[in-house]
Amino acid sequence: MKLRRPFLILLASLLAAAFGRAQPSHAGPMPDPAPIADASLRRAAYLARVEEALVWRAGLAKPDNPATLGLAEIAAKLSLRQDAAACSARLIELMKAPTGDMFWMFPVTIISHLGRDQLTQEAKQAIRAAWRNYMPLRGDTENHWAMYYTSLYLMAQLWPGEGGDRWFNGKSSQENFNEARDYLVHWMEITTTIGQGEYDCTHYIGEYAIPMLMLASWSADPAMRMRGHMMLDYVMADFAVDSLDGIYIGAHARTDDRTVLEKWNALSSFFGWLMLGNTVPQAAYGGWGVYFTAAARNYELPEVIYRIGTDRAGTYTHTERKRTRHRWRYSDERNPPVYKTSYVTADYAVGSDQGGQLQPIQQHSWDVTWSVPDPRGVHNTLFANQPYWSARDLMMYFTEKPDSMPGDVTFQGKPTYISEEKLLGGSPYEQIFQQDDAVVSLTDVPAGVTFQQVNGFFSKDLALIEEDASGWIFAQGGRAYIAYRPLAPYEWRPLEVGGKRLRSPHGKNGTIMQVAAAREFKSWDDFKAAIRALPLTIRLEPTPSVTFTTLRGKTLVCTFGTLPSVNGRTVDRAAWKLFAGPYLNAEVGSGMLTMTHGRLERVLDFNTLTITDRVK
Amino acid sequence: MSNLATKFSALLCALACAAGAHAGEVKHDLYLSVLMSGGGQVMGGRPPAKSGIYRSTDRATAEHIGFGHIRIFNVAPDPASPAGIYIAALDGVIHSPDRGATWRILTGWNMTEVKGLALDPNAPDHIYAGLPDGIGVSRDRGKTWARMNAGIRRSFTQTITVDRTQAGRVLAGTEQGIYLTEDGARTWRLVLPTTEVAYDVRQSPHDPKIFFAVTATSGALWSADAGRTWQTVAGIPKDRTLHNGVFDPRDAKRLALCGWEAGVQVSEDGGRTWTDRTAGLPSRKIWSIAADPDFPGRLYASPYQSAVYVSDDFGRAWKPAYFEKATVFNFSFVPRP
Repeated sequence: MKLRRPFLILLASLLAAAFGRAQPSHAGPMPDPAPIADASLRRAAYLARVEEALVWRAGLAKPDNPATLGLAEIAAKLSLRQDAAACSARLIELMKAPTGDMFWMFPVTIISHLGRDQLTQEAKQAIRAAWRNYMPLRGDTENHWAMYYTSLYLMAQLWPGEGGDRWFNGKSSQENFNEARDYLVHWMEITTTIGQGEYDCTHYIGEYAIPMLMLASWSADPAMRMRGHMMLDYVMADFAVDSLDGIYIGAHARTDDRTVLEKWNALSSFFGWLMLGNTVPQAAYGGWGVYFTAAARNYELPEVIYRIGTDRAGTYTHTERKRTRHRWRYSDERNPPVYKTSYVTADYAVGSDQGGQLQPIQQHSWDVTWSVPDPRGVHNTLFANQPYWSARDLMMYFTEKPDSMPGDVTFQGKPTYISEEKLLGGSPYEQIFQQDDAVVSLTDVPAGVTFQQVNGFFSKDLALIEEDASGWIFAQGGRAYIAYRPLAPYEWRPLEVGGKRLRSPHGKNGTIMQVAAAREFKSWDDFKAAIRALPLTIRLEPTPSVTFTTLRGKTLVCTFGTLPSVNGRTVDRAAWKLFAGPYLNAEVGSGMLTMTHGRLERVLDFNTLTITDRVK
Repeated sequence: MSNLATKFSALLCALACAAGAHAGEVKHDLYLSVLMSGGGQVMGGRPPAKSGIYRSTDRATAEHIGFGHIRIFNVAPDPASPAGIYIAALDGVIHSPDRGATWRILTGWNMTEVKGLALDPNAPDHIYAGLPDGIGVSRDRGKTWARMNAGIRRSFTQTITVDRTQAGRVLAGTEQGIYLTEDGARTWRLVLPTTEVAYDVRQSPHDPKIFFAVTATSGALWSADAGRTWQTVAGIPKDRTLHNGVFDPRDAKRLALCGWEAGVQVSEDGGRTWTDRTAGLPSRKIWSIAADPDFPGRLYASPYQSAVYVSDDFGRAWKPAYFEKATVFNFSFVPRP
């Protein structure tokens, strides 16, 4: 059955009307997570979700209140081919006082391209004038630059042959086009050879997916169009393989204080909903989501990625190599490698990086995320971190002067940065090793460093928490049994958001976590007995060290400052591939990614700009 | 691009200017590179006030020129054109040929977050840019650029100072100290190792052999042989991040420095002794400081997220002058066209 677009719009409109201003999928029941086998039905379902988001956003604009017609509403309306005259009139007003830098550039670029055959000449001239008179800031992060240069590339393409006097930065159309192209190609090259710097971000995934979709949609150069398409595949595959029920799991370069607890509540889940159809979208479709949907009809998620995200044959281990953000100071290496491990089952996922200060802010290094029937408002995760902050470490990644920045960032959307209670952020004094669904985190915080402690997060949504005389804390989240072993004495502190914080005020410290599926044991008591029986040796002085035999029968030896070993063999992650696992594989430096699911295979080759689909 | 001017009234500076009959002819415009929106401003966010460059031609008012970026770090005069200015900014090296009416970003994507910027008065086509990952050099007034930091191990570069007596002789304040080139950046050698960033290096306007530097953790330093060797300045603590160290262009014996929790320190005997002149300022967190070349004894200080203050007696008494809540990255004096 193939649903026609007018029908989809009508359906989405009816749903929106039925729910009033509420978002149908956001407020509605959880979708059936079963994969849709039929390609045409899968495509129809995707397009219906696209229409839903567009109709909802367009409906926020009220005819009698022009202020409600903002850039997002205009993008939605133009995508739906509605109210072009009103959009044009409003754009003329909006272009008089631009603000928002790169976050202004990409919406206006989307509107300009959607509106090529809809907007009035006056509106187009207003946009043109704004790009001469308003100098957006380029920004200082990888996501800023993706938005800035993608927008500049497409607008230079839209207005070719103009001199520098017509552009905000004094450069000609050709100069802007060339510079933007060169940066974008550079970024794609380093991402596909040594990994992304802002990797696996619960929010910023959108700031990469949207620009890549823009390139895939509107680049006149077929090479750049193909690059955009391939990079969007790349970003989505990277998400799909590290997702559980459409939720981003494991370690993230950047997340935030809310999402680190309520794992679903992130823009990434909008992509889970839109692409995989197995979760519900955030409120307002994640905000930026509407801009993706405005051009989303130009993209079709390859079936192999869809199946990686929705149709797993069983438990799998997936490893990745990424890179840190640029280190400007205090490092002889610009982008040291980040090593990630994910162990994904139908019931839970355990993910981690190697620990250390890999990002200046918002890093999340390890956790378990368990599957829940409905993730809205649920804190379906458990983890620990070593709360750490330092002006010096900020200076490693930022070019600012040192003293004001730790306080400043708490007013920049990172309110817990200097807090002892914080549950977000990495530490140079934490070292992590994951084997299957066991994690050993060791901390060795030197005397004098702020916050000599470990914080463990125990969710309000844990079904069970039991402190055992053995020293283990046993917990159950969903269908996952969790054993958590603090390595030093601790106390409990309540959390305003519910649940409680395990505060272990010792610098030489650590955590062992072993997770298993409830179905693996006859009873809760059997699980606890099995954990108690695991061989375990803990030493904290002079250096934290653990020898632990996991539920999977592997003996881990982890000592802070040295490489870990498994069953006597040293694990040297320096030899890791860019991606390795049953679904994604890539060699470091290759510029290629092989995606596999069952008999399906897709190979992205950025060297030759080819996509090769194969059925084995 | 259009020139949106926003005027801020001086509170008391006008009185000071009126009283400054001893100032003589005003030969420079004052440019302030300002963050107006506080520490909470994020890139891409809606700023509550317009940051960027403010210019004061009368020392009483300051008008906004150019664009409202929150990270513009410095303004440098164009030795080849009286109406020209260069700026060091997050977006690169930017030039205006007409005092801010129009702009062109000279650098490309591979040069960002420019903190230090200097032009060689003996080779006016040569521009040096201090980058977080090296030193950018142009020999054609910004048309083309090359990264030239051979010999610098950790190349985070905060400040660039060109020796006005010799073409191609440049000092760079970097993460690990001060480096010197005498061949136009082809080769660099470390002349002063430091444990943290050297944030400011200045050449005396009175004696070109004398240089003055301030650092993050190595205190203040002095060179009497054109930057070849350096001595620690006594009386300046090393436990505070020092941001600026300046000469008074009107008095060879006067210097001032500032920093985070370091307040304002002044010397009136050529750097031998120092006096704390922070009293009258709202905090000891002083982001930047400057001595006015046209008004004897006049100092400007920018306490963090505060009004800009002015003193006409070299720091004995301070009065608010510009803005209500600002952080000035740098004060620059540009000769009037």
